Amino acid sequence: MRASSLVIVLAASSLIGCEREERTFRETPPSTTPTAVRVSALQPGTPADTTHTVNPYERNAYAQSEGQRLFGWYNCSGCHANGGGGMGPALMDDEWIYGSAPEQIYTTIVEGRPNGMPSFAGRIPSYQVWQLVTYVRSLSGLTPSAGRSARVEHMMIYPGSQSLQKAEKPKWSFTPPAAVQP
Amino acid sequence: MIGRGGPDFQHVLHPAGPQAARIAHLGWFAFVVAATVWVITVSVLLWAIARARRRERADEPVPADGERRMTWGVAFGIGASAVILLVFLGYDLVVGRTLSPVPSAHPLTIEVNGHQWWWEVQYADTAVHDRFTTANEIHIPVGEPVLFVLTAQDVIHSIWAPNLGGKKDLIPGYTTSVWFQADTPGVYRAQCAEFCGVQHAKMALFIVAESRAQFNRWAIQQRQPAAKPADSVAGHGYEVFVTSSCVMCHNLEGTTAGSHAGPDLTHLASRRTIAAGTLPNTRGNLAGWIVDPQRIKPGSHMPPNMLEPKDLDALLTYLQSLK
Amino acid sequence: MKLHRALRSVSFILFAAACTRERGPEHGYEPAPPAPAGSDARATAALDAEDGQWTLPAKSYSALRYSQLTEITAGNVKNLRPVWTFSTSVLRGHEEPPIVANNTMYVLTPFPNVLYALDLTKTGAPMKWKYEPKPAAAAQGVACCDVVNRGPTIAGNKIVFNTLDNHVVAVDAASGKEVWTTQVGDINTGETMTMAPLVVKNMVLVGNSGGEMGVRGWLKALDLNTGTVKWTAYSTGPDSEVLIGPRFKPFYKKDQGKDLGVRTWTGEQWKIGGGTVWGWLSYDPVLDLVYYGAANPGPWNPDQRPGDNKWTSTLFARDPNTGEAVWAYQMNPHDLHDYDGVNESLLIDVPWKGVRRKALVHPDRNGYVYLMDRTTGELLSAEPFVHITSSHGVDVTTGELALEATKQPKIGEVVRDICPAAPGGKDWQPSSFSPRTGLVYIPHQNLCMDEEGLEANYIAGTPYVGMNVVMKAGPGGNRGLLTAWDPATQRAAWVLKEDLPVWSGTLATAGDVVFYGTMDGWFKAIDARTGAALWQYKTGSGIIGQPVTYRGPDGKQYVAVVSGVGGWSGAIVAGKLDPRDSTAALGFAAAMTDLPQKTTKGGTLYVFALP
Repeated sequence: MRASSLVIVLAASSLIGCEREERTFRETPPSTTPTAVRVSALQPGTPADTTHTVNPYERNAYAQSEGQRLFGWYNCSGCHANGGGGMGPALMDDEWIYGSAPEQIYTTIVEGRPNGMPSFAGRIPSYQVWQLVTYVRSLSGLTPSAGRSARVEHMMIYPGSQSLQKAEKPKWSFTPPAAVQP
Repeated sequence: MIGRGGPDFQHVLHPAGPQAARIAHLGWFAFVVAATVWVITVSVLLWAIARARRRERADEPVPADGERRMTWGVAFGIGASAVILLVFLGYDLVVGRTLSPVPSAHPLTIEVNGHQWWWEVQYADTAVHDRFTTANEIHIPVGEPVLFVLTAQDVIHSIWAPNLGGKKDLIPGYTTSVWFQADTPGVYRAQCAEFCGVQHAKMALFIVAESRAQFNRWAIQQRQPAAKPADSVAGHGYEVFVTSSCVMCHNLEGTTAGSHAGPDLTHLASRRTIAAGTLPNTRGNLAGWIVDPQRIKPGSHMPPNMLEPKDLDALLTYLQSLK
Repeated sequence: MKLHRALRSVSFILFAAACTRERGPEHGYEPAPPAPAGSDARATAALDAEDGQWTLPAKSYSALRYSQLTEITAGNVKNLRPVWTFSTSVLRGHEEPPIVANNTMYVLTPFPNVLYALDLTKTGAPMKWKYEPKPAAAAQGVACCDVVNRGPTIAGNKIVFNTLDNHVVAVDAASGKEVWTTQVGDINTGETMTMAPLVVKNMVLVGNSGGEMGVRGWLKALDLNTGTVKWTAYSTGPDSEVLIGPRFKPFYKKDQGKDLGVRTWTGEQWKIGGGTVWGWLSYDPVLDLVYYGAANPGPWNPDQRPGDNKWTSTLFARDPNTGEAVWAYQMNPHDLHDYDGVNESLLIDVPWKGVRRKALVHPDRNGYVYLMDRTTGELLSAEPFVHITSSHGVDVTTGELALEATKQPKIGEVVRDICPAAPGGKDWQPSSFSPRTGLVYIPHQNLCMDEEGLEANYIAGTPYVGMNVVMKAGPGGNRGLLTAWDPATQRAAWVLKEDLPVWSGTLATAGDVVFYGTMDGWFKAIDARTGAALWQYKTGSGIIGQPVTYRGPDGKQYVAVVSGVGGWSGAIVAGKLDPRDSTAALGFAAAMTDLPQKTTKGGTLYVFALP
């Protein structure tokens, strides 16, 4: 009994390990493209298909690090910084204007959004979009922690991507001058 | 084969420049000395074995001063080894010293930036406007020292052109330098010599040593912005380039494509190979590389591009016009 | 224990005193006693007759932001109270000034750039009309530092302004009907427009923004009547496109030569090299010259653009009739730290070695106040007004800036404690000048930064920066300063410390009062001579706008300011950024982590008057 459960655990963990470590270099294009993506939770009549498309790379560490590389290469970081935002909104918080589901983020990247998000359709191959989706979701801790990288290699005051969303909000230490009353 | 450099194009025993020659001389010297020592040692060993057997057969006693003679023998062996090693060390240091300083106050300076898995090459010029960038192929004038300023973008790489010189590591966030000189014109292959990831093996660099006049002609050509499309097919190819994923990673000087994530393609057609020395630069290879790069170089950062045949054809025509 | 507590309270009192009024940050300035009226030792300026209006964002062509109205004085300003307010219905940063002409107040909002006309003749100033240009929403995605607008300008019977999506619009000031609209830029190359136009001799002078997007900077002149472009002066490129011709006489050797806008760049990089014109213009009608600065070169990462990168971070003097450059002076050749040259140039006259010189005062991002002869472009002096580690000073004989080599950012390296930070010793927020005190009131920040260079990829319409930046407070821990600068002695007369960057403009009046706002929402009045606090009022949101003053139809003097936090410094609130990423908002968020606790967003116009 004990031995068999050990075997099962080992087999299961090795499977998980496989998915985490797998490196698929030669995707058979075209890879999955989500269809009928809903950005609203409201559906007239009885709500149907509330399930979300599964991101093929959700658990994959290689895809996530590739997503991180592309996030810099394709200038996503120019607007969203390293997740905190700038010209574009923050990605590491828990606020999602157009939805946090993988297919919603996919659609945001490919189709763009009206208030400034460019459309990358035809510019980024779909498997790379999925890699970006994995990385973007990892920023706010939405992907399994096993696939996330534990550190950032660049200059940061606060910890790396694995724990960044758990970091405390930094405190400001300057004591303001006493207000002068009229 | 690739680069048509002949059988000697990547060969440590066929030096084409003074440094490689000195290193080769050092190598030959070490080889000859070591071979001589080996022959003497083996001969003495064989002689000793033979004599011991003869004594054994003749039942001769071990001479009384055997111990002393053995001590002398070992002492001589150690002394001789020390002297030979010191000679090696001295020669080595002398060669090292003659290799390091650049024998020119204002050498041609080339900045090489290692990427996974290709080489970014910038010709630094005192006149800023005359700087230019290329990739995976370095042209140098023969008979002149050339200074290479080295750094890396992602991981540690190392440059080694066996016919000319090296190796020297390329380290992210740090600058190193090395100089070569080619005395014999020709095409020499250099290779990344520090394991840098899955495609380490396909990270080659061609060094073309040519006369100063040829080099100047080449440099003037490389300074030009990307050639304007000559006809409507090439024009369509340009449109395909700037509206597809090409524009996300590659630079075409003088156009709206200005990314440096991948190699600079401003003068792609002037280069001998594609994909960092992986394939000869032919139309067919280029097509295969654009459509399915992961088959040619699995793990490389070039994504597959599913282009319509008409678009691919036009893109190839355009890319081949980038002399 | 008791002793400890006593010590603590004593130090607190000392600290509080130090905070409200303080000498120069590092030079130990002596507070300069105000010079007696009519003294020759003081900087002065030629003033137009006071009409009680505020028709240009800078009030006058000489950009003094000085009103000769005297009803509100240092003595009675403590009685100032709000009389009416107006909601702009926009939640982003409000850097614009209210504009007043013909008993009408014009308020231009940030994107979507709605122009409101409010009737000052009626109680509560009801809306006369509003004009909605409906700019493309996608433009918000290429606006580097919030979707701000720095104001409209009145020109005859028209009011002219720029929209974020690169349209110059002229609207009939009386009816609100559009007269013409001209598109002068393309958001797909990353261009936007945020600056306030200047109308000179029936020409509307406008420039573009987008130095963080690989935009090529330009200044254009549009015909005021038709909106057609009369000339375009690029900041980079060949002399023929920079409009450099036979009249061009730069004072220093470093700025002389042919086609420097091309030869100081590698290859074709000048086409995406920045030098945008998003700041302030001033105009001298006697010399017939327009003065403005070109912004930083792109990308920020200097390794990728060897050379002097002309004519970025440069002050230009141009003939407005033809656009021809008359002189130029590059403050920051091969700029390393995003030190744009766009800050205002106040045109004043300064006693200099016994002679009164026609000068311009330009407090630059790099931390020096440049005092220049505005006729020739000769540098008279360049003295620091903030803590500087990135350079050692400016040589007035050669015009060269002496850089500190260890503060040069490099790819893959972290360089720490670069002062001033990327927004500079002072950013866009305009200074004012009072001829009564001879002082320039410079609102600015006290920030330093750490930088890490990254390889920047130019992809048209996306950012082109290549730098991780983390900002922090400079020495003293206060992030803001208001410096009263004496151009005649080239040093600060007095300095006020503020906790947050002073991101609003200042306003000086003949009542010897200076107004400014803080990012936590206080609108403040201080004594123009001593800097003593006189009055303050807490508005609904942080103030980053430009205060103005005018005489109402009832003959009373009013002071107006738009409150509404945002801009680069306030992006953490206006854009709801996450400060756990210290590089958010190009590193500004790291220095502003407490702002969300101190203010909330929302644009409101406040108008104040004496009872």
